[in-house]
Amino acid sequence: MSVQLHSRVLQRAPQSTRAIMLQVMLACTPGILLSVWFFGYGIVLNIVLASAFALFTEAVILSVRARNWWQGLQDNSALVTAVLFGIAVPPGLPWWLVATGIVFAIAIVKHSFGGLGQNPFNPAMSGYLLLLLAYPLDMTAWHVPATRLFDDTAISTLGWYGLQQSLLASFPGLSLPSATSLPAIDGLAMATPLIEFKMAATSALLSARESGLSFFARESGTGWELVNFGYLLGGLYLLARRIISWHIPVSIIGTVALLATLLYAPNSFAIYGTPYLHLFGSATMLGAFFIATDPVSAATTRRGQLLYGVCIGLGIYCIRVWGSYLDSVAIAVLFGNLCAPLLDHWCRPTIYGHGARQLPVTGGEWKA
Amino acid sequence: MYPLIDTALIRLLLWAFLLLALLGLGVTAMRYWRRKLADQHSLVDRINALLPQTQCGACGFEGCLPYARAIANGQAINQCPPGGDGTIIRLGNLLNELPRTLNPAHGVVVEPRVAFIREDECIGCTKCIRACPVDAILGGPKLMHTVIARECTGCDLCVEPCPVDCIEMRPLGPDHSPRWVLPNSGSGTRTSLEVTR
Amino acid sequence: MSKLAHPGRGRRVHGIAGGITPAANKAASLRSRIMPCPLAPLYTLPLTQYKSVPLTPAVQAGDYVQKYQRLTTSANPDAAHVHAPTSGRIAAIRNCLIADRVETLAPCIELVPDGADTALGCSPVPDFRKLPTSELFQRIIDAGICGMGGAGFPVAQKLRLAQSADCQLLIINAVECEPFISADHALLRERAADVLLGAEIVQTVCRAARCVIALKRDMHAAISATRSALAHSTVEMLLVDSKYPAGAERQLIEAVTGMQLPAGSLPLEAGILMLNAGTTYACGQAVVTGSPCISRITTLTGSALTTPKNFEALIGTPVTFLLELCGVKQHDHTATVLGGSLLGVELASLAVPSTQTTNCLIAATSADLPQSEPELACIRCGYCADVCPVRLLPQQLHAFARNHAHAQLQDYGLTECIECGACDYVCPSHIPLVQYFRAGKQELRDATRHFEQAESWRTRFQQHQYRLKREKESARERRRPESQPTSAPVSRHSPAFSREQAQNEIAAAVARSKARQQARTNRLLASVPKSSGDPEDSGGVA
Repeated sequence: MSVQLHSRVLQRAPQSTRAIMLQVMLACTPGILLSVWFFGYGIVLNIVLASAFALFTEAVILSVRARNWWQGLQDNSALVTAVLFGIAVPPGLPWWLVATGIVFAIAIVKHSFGGLGQNPFNPAMSGYLLLLLAYPLDMTAWHVPATRLFDDTAISTLGWYGLQQSLLASFPGLSLPSATSLPAIDGLAMATPLIEFKMAATSALLSARESGLSFFARESGTGWELVNFGYLLGGLYLLARRIISWHIPVSIIGTVALLATLLYAPNSFAIYGTPYLHLFGSATMLGAFFIATDPVSAATTRRGQLLYGVCIGLGIYCIRVWGSYLDSVAIAVLFGNLCAPLLDHWCRPTIYGHGARQLPVTGGEWKA
Repeated sequence: MYPLIDTALIRLLLWAFLLLALLGLGVTAMRYWRRKLADQHSLVDRINALLPQTQCGACGFEGCLPYARAIANGQAINQCPPGGDGTIIRLGNLLNELPRTLNPAHGVVVEPRVAFIREDECIGCTKCIRACPVDAILGGPKLMHTVIARECTGCDLCVEPCPVDCIEMRPLGPDHSPRWVLPNSGSGTRTSLEVTR
Repeated sequence: MSKLAHPGRGRRVHGIAGGITPAANKAASLRSRIMPCPLAPLYTLPLTQYKSVPLTPAVQAGDYVQKYQRLTTSANPDAAHVHAPTSGRIAAIRNCLIADRVETLAPCIELVPDGADTALGCSPVPDFRKLPTSELFQRIIDAGICGMGGAGFPVAQKLRLAQSADCQLLIINAVECEPFISADHALLRERAADVLLGAEIVQTVCRAARCVIALKRDMHAAISATRSALAHSTVEMLLVDSKYPAGAERQLIEAVTGMQLPAGSLPLEAGILMLNAGTTYACGQAVVTGSPCISRITTLTGSALTTPKNFEALIGTPVTFLLELCGVKQHDHTATVLGGSLLGVELASLAVPSTQTTNCLIAATSADLPQSEPELACIRCGYCADVCPVRLLPQQLHAFARNHAHAQLQDYGLTECIECGACDYVCPSHIPLVQYFRAGKQELRDATRHFEQAESWRTRFQQHQYRLKREKESARERRRPESQPTSAPVSRHSPAFSREQAQNEIAAAVARSKARQQARTNRLLASVPKSSGDPEDSGGVA
């Protein structure tokens, strides 16, 4: 045997994969908090359920793959997948659907391709898409606790009854002590504004201001838009911390905004919707800042990321306007994932010494 | 009234069709054959590029190129001791065959060696010179011979013809120069430098 | 070519791609002035200052040598010779442990100083302009200077190449971008005029039309000292961005000229000579004072030292001696690093001497250089590609290196990697990327070597077969008209040939050889127990 050389850089930037993942989760909190405020505990239940199943599946699969499962869980990547999945699926989804989606995401989409860093597709979105294809009805109903069913008493979404209703939605068949006195939850579903825009194509925020309602009053119906602003805020935090680069979000949002502006015709067919609703009426912000920027499945070269964002933006707009699926972000992101390797291959930066600005060089015949 | 389609005409058309079909078949077959021959040729080159080129003849053929031709015609791929497992795996990948272990009938894997002539014993018979497949032995009749070590493939073929047994195969000394290895591939987890024997 | 000789419009400093800005950690060692180094009890002078130029010792154990005395000879006229750093007696010439990227055993001269420090006379030159260029060059050759920036290439050889190439531009590299190292900064702060003098001398020797000294923007003290010294000089000063690989050769060339060195070519092929500031200073001293290079500025720093500072360390001083001069806090001292914190190596043993390339020694605490965390999976975040000064894609190269995908490694430009470690620094998964790339490069080199070897064997075999065929044909042709059966190849050489005689001769030769072989065996048997190892098996390294 000869001498084996090892080397490492002794000084390292104070950055780690764990910390990156934690900060992504931290950046989700404004959006999650606003969701809870407007739509109740359903999203939290989703996240908790998804996290539990994700961690368990990750640990099991890691030990099946003969890896150190405890160390594997330390990187927080399964948690991030679970949080994004929990945000994406509608609140009030029964627990077995949450479990199906997240187990599929972790076991099949992530680990069957080689685990962290190897999956070509975004696990959370793949899990979401599986549920969307298999259970379209459950996946398009947004269960919101009944707050105004009883005219005499206003029940808070965040109160005990709200929690009970969310629990009942997630665990049908659960018998809660006071459950009998409560109405069944399935009567209340709420669609995203973008789905409603065929009827009312205005911003809920604007109409709330006109009618003198507070932005944060649940009656004003500004929930969806504010949640999107929450995710925008989180995304800006990620940008400021340099966790993600601006290329992917800017090109996605730019593409969607551009298409929506160009094709928007206020007086003709209302089908196209306003640019504002395209950006803030559905999951565009979440997709642009949190889901499409998943580094594993995204393009990694900067020019490639711009094109990748354009692909996703195109996908989001086209599926929304001409397709038959209500949520287009997941499908568009997976479409972008498909394109990413090719984009990376095309968009390789010019290596030093291979570009146009080169010093003239003599033949080198003086080299003795 | 003539019938719309004459039976003779039908027969004529049939024959013409048959003839054309035969012609087409022939042309296709010829093309296929030529293409296959060309493929075969490039296949031989590709196989040859994977062989170690020691020209030792341990495979039972006269050199690497003849063995490459034989492999292209279906010979087993596990007959090359100097190439060892690496060559078998690469050949298997090329030919879509399962890698097998080296056929012991053709020899065992030995470390790279080089021939060495003990020059005070050499009588200058030129027998080894004629045996060397790559002309790596220098010398003339009744003059001392020597091996051009850089060109020697270590094939062993010069040892047997020597009447005075003055040729020996010496292993190339193990390479002691420091080597970079992939992280986690070596033993231990020392970080900066690691010295292993 | 002439573009290089002129500053061009605006003197714009060109940015380089990528780069990192790690904590510099230079302030501590810059607090005090450059200190002279007291005499150590023992000096170990490696005979392999630069690997390709072997030196033979000109002294023997027991000889008394004076300071500045040349201790080696070499067949190469431009070799960087070893000189006695002080007067004393040669204790031994033997293999000692030295640190040269790896700690290896190398032949060294061990010198025990007598404390008198008696020096050979030198011939100082008050004004170098009065000397002819050849004399200047000879003085630099005699000083035995190696490049002090990193690789340690003998300066004389570099200058010789620069003279034969059409050298247009001389760049003095004082960028010193790696954390912890402050040797060039301290040197320029205190001796800027001497460095510039050296620059002018080198410029005269290599006949460059233009000379630029490059500093980093945040070296304030050095910049002001250089600026005031520049008043009497034709040298230009250029400030580059304070980011990490700004001082790498190719990156600095881009910063100075705005253009890139074509892949695979050397700076001298484009008419550029680059020297480190310390090297330039040594060249100047060699000409002005006439003394050879026996010392260099070495930074001693790290939180485990009570008083970090820069020393003018004599070549061959033991690392332990240097560290103790600054007071080592034994309890906190966790690691000793030779070089900066990015390219440096952790020393497993402190029993190594400092050399001309020893620019920095870090006595680190666990706070300085925390233990590395285990390597995690690559999440393809692309931070490494952002900081790569060569604009490679380390995340892709890493995957290819793991899979031994040689064609892709080649395609994605692994050979252009300068191994600066910027990617390593930013990697959130703590992947030792540089090691992957070094191993990958090694595999590529091995594969190329094997391929070339096999290719040469293949052609030789083809030619051999062609020759056999030709000989067979010519033999057939010869046989046909004569119908003579004798066609032994030997017959061509001796006209009076008979088969019996030849066979007798062969038999006699076989007998002689057998006798010699027998004698050899007897000799072997008679000799005292001897290993059966073959003589070619060299000792190897420990």
